[in-house]
Amino acid sequence: MIDTLLDAKGTISDCWRSIAERAPDKEAVVHYVAGEEPCRWTWGEILRASSLYARRFKDEGIRKGDICAIIIRHHKDFYPIYIGISALGALPSVLAYPNSRLHPDKFRQGLEGMVRRSGLDYVLTEKDLGQVVNPMVSGTGSTIRAVLYPLEWSFEREETESFPPTTGGGGDAPCLLQHSSGTTGLQKAVVLTHRAVLKHVRQYGKAIDIRQDDKVVSWLPLYHDMGLIAAFYLPLTLGIPLVQLDPFEWVSAPVILLEAVSREKGTLVWLPNFAYNLMADRIREEDLDGIRLESLRMLVNCSEPVRAESHEKFLRRYAPFGFRKEALAACYAMAETTFAATQTPPGQDAKSIFVAREDLSTGYVRLARSEETGRVCVSSGAPISGCELRVLDDRGNSLPENRVGEIAIRSISLFDGYHNNPEKTEEVLKDGWYSSGDYGFLHAGQYYIIGRKKDLIILAGKNIYPEDIEDAVGQVEGVLPGRVVAFGVEDDITGTEQICVVAESQVHDEADRKRLRTDIVLAGMGIDVTISNVYLAPPRWLIKSSSGKPARKANMERAMTNLKEHRP
Amino acid sequence: MISERLKRIILEALQLEDFDMQDDTTANMVPGWDSLSHIKVIVAIEESYGIRFKTLEVIRLKNVGQLQRLIDAKK
Repeated sequence: MIDTLLDAKGTISDCWRSIAERAPDKEAVVHYVAGEEPCRWTWGEILRASSLYARRFKDEGIRKGDICAIIIRHHKDFYPIYIGISALGALPSVLAYPNSRLHPDKFRQGLEGMVRRSGLDYVLTEKDLGQVVNPMVSGTGSTIRAVLYPLEWSFEREETESFPPTTGGGGDAPCLLQHSSGTTGLQKAVVLTHRAVLKHVRQYGKAIDIRQDDKVVSWLPLYHDMGLIAAFYLPLTLGIPLVQLDPFEWVSAPVILLEAVSREKGTLVWLPNFAYNLMADRIREEDLDGIRLESLRMLVNCSEPVRAESHEKFLRRYAPFGFRKEALAACYAMAETTFAATQTPPGQDAKSIFVAREDLSTGYVRLARSEETGRVCVSSGAPISGCELRVLDDRGNSLPENRVGEIAIRSISLFDGYHNNPEKTEEVLKDGWYSSGDYGFLHAGQYYIIGRKKDLIILAGKNIYPEDIEDAVGQVEGVLPGRVVAFGVEDDITGTEQICVVAESQVHDEADRKRLRTDIVLAGMGIDVTISNVYLAPPRWLIKSSSGKPARKANMERAMTNLKEHRP
Repeated sequence: MISERLKRIILEALQLEDFDMQDDTTANMVPGWDSLSHIKVIVAIEESYGIRFKTLEVIRLKNVGQLQRLIDAKK
């Protein structure tokens, strides 16, 4: 069945309908909730439910091409709602449900930024958020036509016999809209066509040698490309079951991922690097009673820099439970290329090499003999079919193998540009090549990603713009306005970055300084960011860049070497 | 009412000197208590009291008061 589905020429909705017609009783989604019997959607059931939603959405005014934001927590009806929007030819756009620590004003600002950039037409959410979202409908310049609460709707049983109608339209029609993170209007939106997603799923499926007996298990949020493309569109457009967990439950009890893999015999899992550390270090032995991981053929590390140590500690901990070394895979991916650009081959663990540090600092790759003299770099694999990579120098010239430069990508599933944002598009998209902003090199046919050109912080797989943190901290009383820098520092224990803030202040009293540090941490929490270290500096301590703003890299180096002050 | 002992364990696990906590205080109100540091807090409590929480008990906790009651029930 996979081959025929992969050749689907129309829309993704056609593809879903075709799977449901051929295999109505096959499992589509297993909606997993810790401590409960999972809800098992078959293809027939999920399409019939989506048909009910589609009809109601149409009555509410949703039409082809409309952008529909979905802000709903882990719920069994999320899937038919999503499929129902898609069936009308409208564009679903999953947004993060606000964590309770995110200040409602910040959530509203973020949403307003998305409305400005993306022109959201409808917001589908839960009743709880009504108070926050509703005022935006009448706000000046708002494109939102209505806020809908689909989880409140009930349907008559006799209505449930049909599948959604086919909307027609070709693969060139837009299929979905994804947002990058960021809270104050820094979000960038990517629109993908049906063709781009279907082609990508086909090419990526080949790269991981996907089979009909595969089963994806995922706790990843669906507002992120790894969750949405690898762990949602990939299985569902190929007719492979998806076992979906709640991200909030997983982070409170990471063992539930292993429990789901073990019970459901999951074969494919995608994870950001920090999750390897979390699961290796923070799950107790007695919670692993009865867990077996033999079924897992690929555990794909993606969306944060891949760390060899994280792979090693995961393997040490879970080999006794049947986890195989060759399942330790890695992938280099981004929303702009739909998802994956490179992938390590199935059946082989991601290769690690030691590269001489002194050569690496000058942009050359020479293998070192051991860890003492070399930096360990983990491969993200070779380009997937339909995708080409180049390593570029500062002037945009291609560099040969074993030279470090910025990675540029050309792909058959490349985005057309950021939605309503020609300036940002022009910065990154030139002659069909996307400049990733990541530094890396090619060695023996595989790509190694080793750093970032941009100041973006990646904390536990989540992209955070330092500007957002600086903006929030800059408003704390006692901090000199505009005199803040935020940056990420690698942390070996958690396998991700930790956020540090340097803020200038004239506060001298030690008790007041303690309070100020707490206030800064709380300001971070208001935008759902955990600040691990606060350095208070005297006025004019921060180094300015030529633009007059504090320079992040220079200040980070200065803070790391000179200051020993920690958060309270 | 949450005990002084529980409060000290939480503050220490989060490397905080002081922070006022009541029964209805939720994790997201306490500086540095996020989903990733939550496990650190839980393990610190288990070690200090010599008790064990079940996965589902941890997932379902809503505030510090509930955490205190769960500890009291296990002692």
